[in-house]
Amino acid sequence: MLILTRREGESIRIGHDIVITVVEVRGSQVRIGVDAPRSVQVHRAEVYDQVVEENRAAVRTLDRSAEILRTQVPPKEH
Amino acid sequence: MTVETPSETKAIEFPDGIPGFPHLRRFALVEIVEDGAFQLLQSLEDEDVAMVVCVPWLFFPDYAPELAEDDREALGLERPEDAVVFCPVTLEPENDSVHLNLMGPFVVHRETLIGRQVVLADSDYPVRATVDLGGA
Repeated sequence: MLILTRREGESIRIGHDIVITVVEVRGSQVRIGVDAPRSVQVHRAEVYDQVVEENRAAVRTLDRSAEILRTQVPPKEH
Repeated sequence: MTVETPSETKAIEFPDGIPGFPHLRRFALVEIVEDGAFQLLQSLEDEDVAMVVCVPWLFFPDYAPELAEDDREALGLERPEDAVVFCPVTLEPENDSVHLNLMGPFVVHRETLIGRQVVLADSDYPVRATVDLGGA
């Protein structure tokens, strides 16, 4: 992993169009600003990882869930 | 590799891939049974990658995902009614309970069929909302 030292207000550029800025350092917390094209989704890693894990679980459990859900029809309109 | 699906099936394009499968871009929605509540989101590039998906409002009528502006722009969504929304379905192997991922719905533009799995990080929606099939 590339490790760089930065101060508040300083930035890192990734490729042509992504800029990461250290906005504020306070105690053990760092506020970070991200400028990226709209095509790049930016998320907290632990949140994104949850979605990754759920997608993998959905694929992994496909056979059994398809078997169970084959019999399910849509709920009646109210 | 291509995967055989019925010829009238339209491909949904996920330009950024989907989390966990970033290399897969083209998927199709396939019916498990006719007019069933649940469908299959099948990769057209890897036959081993498919998951059950479900329109969330069938089970969670109050569900109101708010898309970030970046997501709306990336999908070219100008009106809410242009969006087709469906959620991944997981199964708890121990007890066969069924869950919807309400935090990470797939959103697809109805006309362009361009899609993205959005991550509603700032919402309180869970990645595992239990579905009450008895209520269906």
